[in-house]
Amino acid sequence: MLFSFDFWSINLKQVIMKNYVPIILLLLMALSSKAQVTINGTVTDKSSNPIVGANVYLEGTYDGASTDESGKFSFETTEEGTQTLVISMLTYEPHYEMGDVSYFKDISIKMVEAVNSLTGVTLTAGTFEAGDNSKVSVLKPLDIVTTAGAAGDFVAALQTLPGTSTINEDGRLFVRGGAAGETQVFIDGLRVFQPFNATANNIPTRGRFSPFLFKGITFSTGGYSAEYGQALSSVLLLSTTDVPDQEKTDIQVMSVGGGLGHTEIWGNQSLSFNTQYINLSPYEALIPSTQGIRWNSPYESISGEAVYRNKGDRGIFKFYTGFNHANLDIEQEDINFEEFVRFRLKNNNLYFNSSYKHFLENDWSLNMGASISWDTNDITLLDNLVDVKETASHVKFKVKKTFSNRFNLSFGTELFNVDFKESFIAQDGFEFDSDFNDQLFAGFVESDVFFSNNFAMKLGARIENTSVIDEFTISPRLSLAYKSSENGQFSLAYGDFYQNPLNEVLRYDQSLESEKTSHYIFNYQYLKNGKTFRAEAYYKDYDNLVKFDTELPQFDSQFNNLGNGYAAGLDIFWRDNKSINNLDYWISYSYLNTERDFRNFRERATPNFAPEHSFSLVTKYWVDKLKSQVGLSYNFGSGRPYDNPNTEAFLAEKTKAFNNISFNWAYLIDQQKILYFSVNNVLGFNNINNYQYANTPNVNGVFDRQAIRPAADSFFFVGFFWTLSTDKKSNQLDNL
Amino acid sequence: MKKPIAVLFLVAFIAVNAQDQYSAGMEKAFGLWSEKKITEASNLFERIAMAEDDNWIPYYYVAQVNTLASFGEKDEKVLTKQLEKAKEFIDIAKRISPNNAEIMVQEAMINTAWIAFDGATYGMTLSGKNAKIYNEASQLDPKNPRVIFSKAEWDMGAARYFGKDTTPYCKDVEHALELFATFKSDIPYYPKWGQERAEAVLANCKS
Repeated sequence: MLFSFDFWSINLKQVIMKNYVPIILLLLMALSSKAQVTINGTVTDKSSNPIVGANVYLEGTYDGASTDESGKFSFETTEEGTQTLVISMLTYEPHYEMGDVSYFKDISIKMVEAVNSLTGVTLTAGTFEAGDNSKVSVLKPLDIVTTAGAAGDFVAALQTLPGTSTINEDGRLFVRGGAAGETQVFIDGLRVFQPFNATANNIPTRGRFSPFLFKGITFSTGGYSAEYGQALSSVLLLSTTDVPDQEKTDIQVMSVGGGLGHTEIWGNQSLSFNTQYINLSPYEALIPSTQGIRWNSPYESISGEAVYRNKGDRGIFKFYTGFNHANLDIEQEDINFEEFVRFRLKNNNLYFNSSYKHFLENDWSLNMGASISWDTNDITLLDNLVDVKETASHVKFKVKKTFSNRFNLSFGTELFNVDFKESFIAQDGFEFDSDFNDQLFAGFVESDVFFSNNFAMKLGARIENTSVIDEFTISPRLSLAYKSSENGQFSLAYGDFYQNPLNEVLRYDQSLESEKTSHYIFNYQYLKNGKTFRAEAYYKDYDNLVKFDTELPQFDSQFNNLGNGYAAGLDIFWRDNKSINNLDYWISYSYLNTERDFRNFRERATPNFAPEHSFSLVTKYWVDKLKSQVGLSYNFGSGRPYDNPNTEAFLAEKTKAFNNISFNWAYLIDQQKILYFSVNNVLGFNNINNYQYANTPNVNGVFDRQAIRPAADSFFFVGFFWTLSTDKKSNQLDNL
Repeated sequence: MKKPIAVLFLVAFIAVNAQDQYSAGMEKAFGLWSEKKITEASNLFERIAMAEDDNWIPYYYVAQVNTLASFGEKDEKVLTKQLEKAKEFIDIAKRISPNNAEIMVQEAMINTAWIAFDGATYGMTLSGKNAKIYNEASQLDPKNPRVIFSKAEWDMGAARYFGKDTTPYCKDVEHALELFATFKSDIPYYPKWGQERAEAVLANCKS
């Protein structure tokens, strides 16, 4: 009983004074004498547990009450006739009862839990997310880049997650026994055709993108959505920031170069750009890399990225562009040559990516976008000239309808076009041109179904038709998740994945078929109070892998699709940022058992890029007194297989284990100035990645070998990062 | 002659009555709040909000009741529920009254509650958002004492953390107090908190 007669009577007096006593009095009598009705009942959940604090009221009125400790409520109302009784409580679906007020007596109401993306079951098998959403993210964007040893390369930070193998001399992602080419990268849903910087053999590459333009990173190590294809092992999905927080300018002065970034905002529009100049010469002059290489002209690059965003009431438009020009001239040791082998590279890469998302009425949304890249490499190897040009584009259209928070459906279509040309001119005047053009059409449909807060399913399928090898494929995808307790859940995932043979093969032979894998994944995840535990077991079946009869694919190689293989393993991840004050750490362990017969393998064997055990420990400690974040990472990889031609067995020997301890220190001079220092491989472990054997035996009939080692065991980095912003508060800690 | 006037009065009576029903409801909700009956207060503000769906004031108070209750809350589940509720209602308030600095300050307060609960997790992402909100709010409504004071207090917190001098912000607090003395709004139950707190902060400045 909220609004009693006292209240009415105050008005009564006021009105009576106006001398319209008879009429008003009558009217008031009529109004005030309305009968009061008591509405009462009990509110419980499905299992009859009382719900405390639910709001029960008649729609459109103030009349109502909150439920007490035993779920009971009671209130009085003067409303009459048919009314709607609303019961509302956060995390439950609102409940409505319609009827005559007199019927709302001793009613019992059972509320149904709302399906909630934050506390409910999540479809996580195979994926690691890094984003601001604290529930599903195992990493925050900040973590990606403050990881010691990563040196600002987010790909290097992802290599501390389970399911990846650290292949020190390459730098790209090797996922669950897959080669680097089996992972694809997407920005805002659109393919990035050359996600990594061009580099020489055995000189590790880095991702082309600066992490600070992205708000979220999803790294799927298997069983991923039907929306993505052409990746046998893994996809890495990056999404650019929708709306930047504020205008600012970032200045970077580093031991290897410098950079400048700026963000400008006008109302609903904003533009961010970031440019960087990298030159390793001063560093190499000071601390030369000596292990098997000589730089004639160390790596030099100039790169820039920009994002323009325009956010309207119903849609958001984004335009991303990146360019990179890189130059290097190196001489490398080679057992088959007396002299060092000279390699020169000039790479130009230009990439555009534009997308528009529109929200229509009735929970329909439209996504459309296109990306295009131009990439050229001018390579001089010894005195042979290789000239590579690749133009590739991706157009995509996707529609999504959310029927309820329990069911949504999305479908779409996409078209990829790749135009590849290579000309080779040998020292002796021999020339060979190769090229291909591929148009790949794909369609996909996928649905998320939440049966309850505890049980969810994602079901999808993808069709692809590729013109270059004239093939049509259908890949089903399925994942299920069951929440077994408040903090734990089990997931299962299955999917088929097809990928065209790599460019290096397609340019010589277009009569091949797609390579194929099937993924079977079983996952358990436990999340509680800043602690995350994940264990994932998987089995991958490889089929139709490309084989050839030469050391590398070349114009006279014989190709076929007779290769196959498997990978099985267990990935474990543990993260805890709560138990010890100011300390955040995570541990990853991957067990990998894989064999395959592909490329020029003479039998099934474990490839060189698949160490059996991988382990990472990443720690970050915030020292408040010093205003510093100190990080220490340890990486371990068990010995990698290599082939010793002096023995009968194929790929039967293993290198010694890989070890690396890295350290970094970010010191906040003040809110906007950071001094950053990092050392990779502090203890200077002498790691050996592989061995190269001579093509021919020496006089004693033995094949000589040389170890393939990193150009330098350790690497130092010093940087000064200065941010200028109107609020004088932001800094670049999250970019380091 | 009498009849039309009577009808007119009746209309006036109903209008006055509706207005008074609103006042009585709001008074009752404030009463519950002062008795620390948080759920009841929040639920009543919510019922008023649902019935008065073009008035941002009750929505604002649903958010404020739940935000203030979250400061000092240790149970993450309770805190999450309260702050999500606060966010839901402040978002509706923003739709009813766009570009309202008062609502923006309340929105920033929700972020501050998250940061106060777990600075390591929410500090980095939300403090940038708050800086943006306070900047926009102070451009939008430079004469609003709560905007000026909240911004100053926020800036002080950041300066203190970095071991910097907080005194430059004291004059902002003084300025806010001048504005408190003159600030007026015709809207019933328009937010009016902040003056006492500003006085306390200023006293701290001078000691």
